[in-house]
This record gives sequence, C-alpha cells and structure tokens, in this order.
Amino acid sequence: MAVSLSNKHGIVRFFKWLWEGLERTLFLGIKFTTPSRFVSPLGFLGMLTFITFIILGITGALLMFYYEPILDRAWDSVERINNIIPYGFHIRNLHYHASNAMVFLALSHMYYQYFSGRYKIRNEVLWVTGIILGTVTILEAFTGYDILYNERAELAISIAASLTNSIPIMGPDIRAMMFGAGFADFVLRFYALHVFILPIVMLGLMAVHFPRLLVFDVPMVMAISGAIFITGGVFPVELGTKFEPTSPPGVTVPEWYLTGLYAFLRTQYDKFVTGVLWPGLLIGALALIPFMDKYKKFSWKDRPMITAIGITSLAQIIVTTYWGFWIDPDIEKALTERLVIDPIVFYTVMLLLVPLSFGFSYMMIKIAIHAEHRNKLEEAKRKEKGETRQGISLPQNWTWAILFALLIFQVYLNISAYYAGVAGFKNVELFLAGLVLITFAGIFHIYRYAVQQAKEAKAEVPSPVPAEKEKPAEKPQPIVIEVPQVVPPAKAVNPTSPPAKVTPNINPGEVATNLDVTKADLRPQEK
Amino acid sequence: MSQQPSEKGAKLSRRDFLKLIAAAGTVMSFTPFIDWGKFMPNPASAKSERAKVILPDDTHANVKTFSINHSESIIYPATGDRVLDAEPFRRWQLIRLPPEYGGDRNDASAFRAYSMVCLHLWCLWKYWPDEKKKRGECPCHGSMYDPRTGKAIAGPAALQAPPSNVLPNLSLEVDADGFLWILPAVWNVNGNGIVGYGRFLKQ
Repeated sequence: MAVSLSNKHGIVRFFKWLWEGLERTLFLGIKFTTPSRFVSPLGFLGMLTFITFIILGITGALLMFYYEPILDRAWDSVERINNIIPYGFHIRNLHYHASNAMVFLALSHMYYQYFSGRYKIRNEVLWVTGIILGTVTILEAFTGYDILYNERAELAISIAASLTNSIPIMGPDIRAMMFGAGFADFVLRFYALHVFILPIVMLGLMAVHFPRLLVFDVPMVMAISGAIFITGGVFPVELGTKFEPTSPPGVTVPEWYLTGLYAFLRTQYDKFVTGVLWPGLLIGALALIPFMDKYKKFSWKDRPMITAIGITSLAQIIVTTYWGFWIDPDIEKALTERLVIDPIVFYTVMLLLVPLSFGFSYMMIKIAIHAEHRNKLEEAKRKEKGETRQGISLPQNWTWAILFALLIFQVYLNISAYYAGVAGFKNVELFLAGLVLITFAGIFHIYRYAVQQAKEAKAEVPSPVPAEKEKPAEKPQPIVIEVPQVVPPAKAVNPTSPPAKVTPNINPGEVATNLDVTKADLRPQEK
Repeated sequence: MSQQPSEKGAKLSRRDFLKLIAAAGTVMSFTPFIDWGKFMPNPASAKSERAKVILPDDTHANVKTFSINHSESIIYPATGDRVLDAEPFRRWQLIRLPPEYGGDRNDASAFRAYSMVCLHLWCLWKYWPDEKKKRGECPCHGSMYDPRTGKAIAGPAALQAPPSNVLPNLSLEVDADGFLWILPAVWNVNGNGIVGYGRFLKQ
C-alpha cells in the first residue's frame, strides 16, 4: 500500500499537481472537509441536498435517452423505460425517490438553519438564495412528474396552467408564453423546463448559495444514497394510468410537497388568492425572516418568538399537507362533495392553529429555559457537595421503548420488502444495492472511528516522534483547523469544531463517549 | 456629493445628463428585442382568417343539413398534424340547440361551439340531447353545462369562481348558402375565452 501511494508514483504526483492547480480556480474559496469522526448530519443537510441533486442529474440524463416529450408518446416511453429497458426501472425509481429526498432534505436544511439562527449576520444572502433555490427545487420536482402524462400529471398540469391563468391582467399571456397552448405544448415545454432551464437556474443559484465551507461526509452520503435505493426497492414508484380525456380518472392527489397547496385549492375559493398569493406570502415571509429577527443570539431557546413562528409554520404545513391528502372515503357521496374542503372549517382551523401552536411552543421554550437554569443551579450545588453527574442518560424503559420501536420498524420494512420482492425481482435488486451502500457507509464509519481511536491512543503515549509529523503522512486533512476564523459568528458550525480539538486535550475518559463530546460542541450558544 | 448645491430646482448637472443619456441608450438598444417575445406563444393556436366548420365526416357543416338538438365534435384550429389534431385543446363541441332554446332558426343563433375541455380538470365533456338532459356533461367529475351560454350549472366546475365557470366559445357565422364558418377567435377571458380556463359571461 505504501509503495503504490507514495509521492514518487507518477499518477499520484499528477493528481497532486492537478489538486494544487485547482488553487487558481473557483475552488480556492471553497474548503472541503471530510470529518474524521461522526458529526451530526443536520449541519450539512445542504451538502446532502446537493448530493441528491447530483444523483438526479445522472439518473435524469440517463432517462433522457429514452423519454420522448411528445403528446402521444410521453407515457408510452415512460412505460417502456419502466418495463422493457434493462435497468430502466431502477433508474426511474432512483430518479423519483431522489427527487422526493431532495425536496425533503432541502426543507429540513431550511428548518435547521432557521432554528439554529444561522441565517443572520451576513448570511442573509445565503438564506434568501436558499429560499429561492428551494422554490425552484419544488418547481423542478413538479415539472418532473408532470411530463409523465399520467392522470396525476394531468391534474398537476391543469392546476399549474389555471393558476398561471389566474394571475391578474398578465396571467393568460404568461401562460401562453411559458407553457404554450394545449397538451402538446405543455409536455414539451415542461420537459424543456425540467431538464434544462430550471437545473441551469438552480446551478446559478447554487453558485451564490454555496458557503465557503463544505462538508463531504462519505458515510452519510453513502447512507443517504442507500436510503434512496432502499425506498426505491420497498416502495417502487407507480407508472400511473395514462391520461385519457374521455374516461373518468381515479382520485389523484399531487406529490406530498404540494398537497398543502392542493388543500387550499380544494376550498374552491378564488384560484389566484389560494394558489398563488398564499404560497407567495409564505415564500416571501420566509425570505424576509432574517431581517425581522432582531435577537442578538442564535440558539432557538434565546429567540422564543422566532422559534414559535417557525413551529407555527411547521404545524400549518403539516396540517395542510395531511388535509390535502385526505379525501372522504365514503364513495356513496358525490365526488365533488368528497373533494371540496369547506373553506370556513379550513380557514378557521388554520387561524386557530396560529395562537395554539405559537402559544404552546412559546410556553414550552420558556419552560425549557427555566428547567435549564434550575438544572444548572442543582449542578452547582452537587459540585459543592462533591457529587458528579454523568451527562444526559435516558431512563431504562425509554431505551427499551426505542429499541422496540426500531424493531417494529425493522419488521415493517422487511414485510414491505418481501411484498415488493413478490411484485418483481427488480425491486429486490434495488433493495440489495441500497443495503450494500448502507453497509459501506457503516464500514467506512467504523474504519474512520478506528483510525481516530488509534490516533488518540498514540497521542496518549509520549512517543519520541512529535505527533504533528505523523499526521500528514497518514491522511491529508489539514484544513479543519483554520475553520473557526472563516465563520466567526456561527463559530460552532458543527462539523468543524470537533476536529479542531483533535490532539491537544485528550481525556482518556472522553474517548469512549466520543458522540457526547461532539454533540456538546454542536450547541451554538456554548462558546 | 458635497459640491451639489441643495437649492431647489437645481439645474441638471452635465454628469447627470450624460448618465441619463447612457441609461436611455441602453434601454433603446434593447427595445427591438421586446417584439421577439412573440417567439414564446405557440402561433399554432391562432388563426387570422375565418375557417370552415368541418364535421368528423369531412363535410362542411351546413344549417340545412345539421339536425336540431344535435352535437358534433370539431377541430379548431386544425393543423393537419395527426398528433396535434388529437389534442384536447383543439376539440370543440358544435351544438345545434333544441327547439325550445331557438335551435329551429336557420341562422348562426341556433348554433353554439364550446371548448370540450372541462373547466374543472380538463376531461372532455359532451352534449347529451336526451329529453331529460339537454346539457353538456363531463364524464370525470360530473360537471354540467348549460348549452345556451356554456355556463357550468352543476358539479365542481360550477363551484369555480368566474371566469372559470363559463366555457370558451367560438364565434360562428352562416353564409348565404347556409355553410357554417368560425370567425378568428380572440383568446382572452373577455373575448372567446381561454381553453381550459374559462371566460367572463357577457350579460
């Protein structure tokens, strides 16, 4: 190993030269970190979103080889990909599940940044471009499932077109310009938007949105990819029924990230207000929130109003999303009756949710702060008495409950996998590939952990050779130490801080509780 | 900045004048491209001269032969392309009204042509001449349309706010020989309407 990887080797030298040459490029400003121990993925959800974007780019480009954006062929070509082309089913499933993962990761990323207060102090531009990027991401996912030309796609296209039409004055012209007139145009233009225009816009926004520090955590990336494979295996995406304008479609709902909007539309109130103005208001409010957040501190506990607003928005999103999915199962009733949501009930619930969730979360935050103070006082008392307390420890029956829940989930997953396997062997392949990826993630993590342990063990023993000299030979990861200077306000940008204390203060007692150490470091309010 | 006198009605400085000229020049040099916006909407949806009403059996519809309380599906604007002409957005329902609504007259007022795309979720509705119905019905979610005006009278489409509750129509004309013609359509909500979206009903 040492022979082939030594610097004398021509290829290694070439790559080294190439890597150094990158210093002159845009990459100069970006610092990649591959954390050498476990760090919470919450801190680099954005990077994970980008990884799914890459997966989508690759699978999408492959799908373009066979997909035909022509009115009478669109659905048939998707069916061909799904049923005939070797591995077409796999690629299509990955593309679909990665799109859901991307929307979900982007939303989680946004809420994590929101609650941890990272959007403030010179990060406003990052935040606002992130909001635009998130909106475009949803549009991208939306245009993607529109071009299948199945019943669900038709529902989505008709909603998109009528919402655009409903914009005052310019609406119909915008619709004619952007989407054209008729299904032939819609399919072709949504395709152009999906495969070229929106991705280009996203790449442009990403160039602005990327911070100077990026975390590339191999195990987590592998785990996410594996999760996408496994969901593809367990819940294979349906082809849907080809849209036939003369036959009644089954009851369809949009994808989960749009059912919230769909719930508003189902009240049958004015389309522009419900379908354009309300979501526009949400996006606008999100974009402006860093300028309204006047708290000097970052932690969610120190910003009770903002946190309560965030939780209120989450509550409303969850309720509307569920409501959009829910259709009265009573088939005796007329379909109209089942589909229409009573606007009075709907808006009353939405309005009631505001004081309820706002007040509740505000109260909880206050209680949490109070409890923390009390704990600190007790801690101080205990110290006086000479007692020590270990960190947070769950009660034992909680541990059992969590284990049990995990077991149930495992059983559920296995049963689903079994049924998916019965449906077709292809699913099993996807499932297994996902398992392989996740196993790889696990092995990589164990390897990383072991290397770390070995390093710490070495540092403990006073060796004749200074520890600093050994490091570069083993693994070139010198970047991490400079990080705190790069982002001074959000000093505790989590992935960076743990490696910062790699060698200097090693406490034998801490080695085993590696995880706790990192978690404590993650808390931004602790200096 | 400090040199600028704060007096009111100060003259435009030379530098500001130049800036204005530069700005105007920039705007001017990009103005020709505004017209290029016409690239965007697909011209295949518009026709500038009147078109024959061609029935499914390839004959030109005539007042004398078209039976009362009857409907046919016609294509407008026809392109000659098999795929495009199968497009729901080009399908129109040509109705000759029942006698009680004036269908026995031998002029254009006996006829109606409405977009077959249902205003609710774009299925294709059609006219039912049965004695008890005499209305347009959509097979998908049961929206019903009044054949006289194209207004949705029941079902989900009837719940939609104007203009999404009235079907787009075509303006028809009958020549001296009784042949039916479609006048160039004005595709906006105050004119012939927008297919799949609707039209404001003129009182």
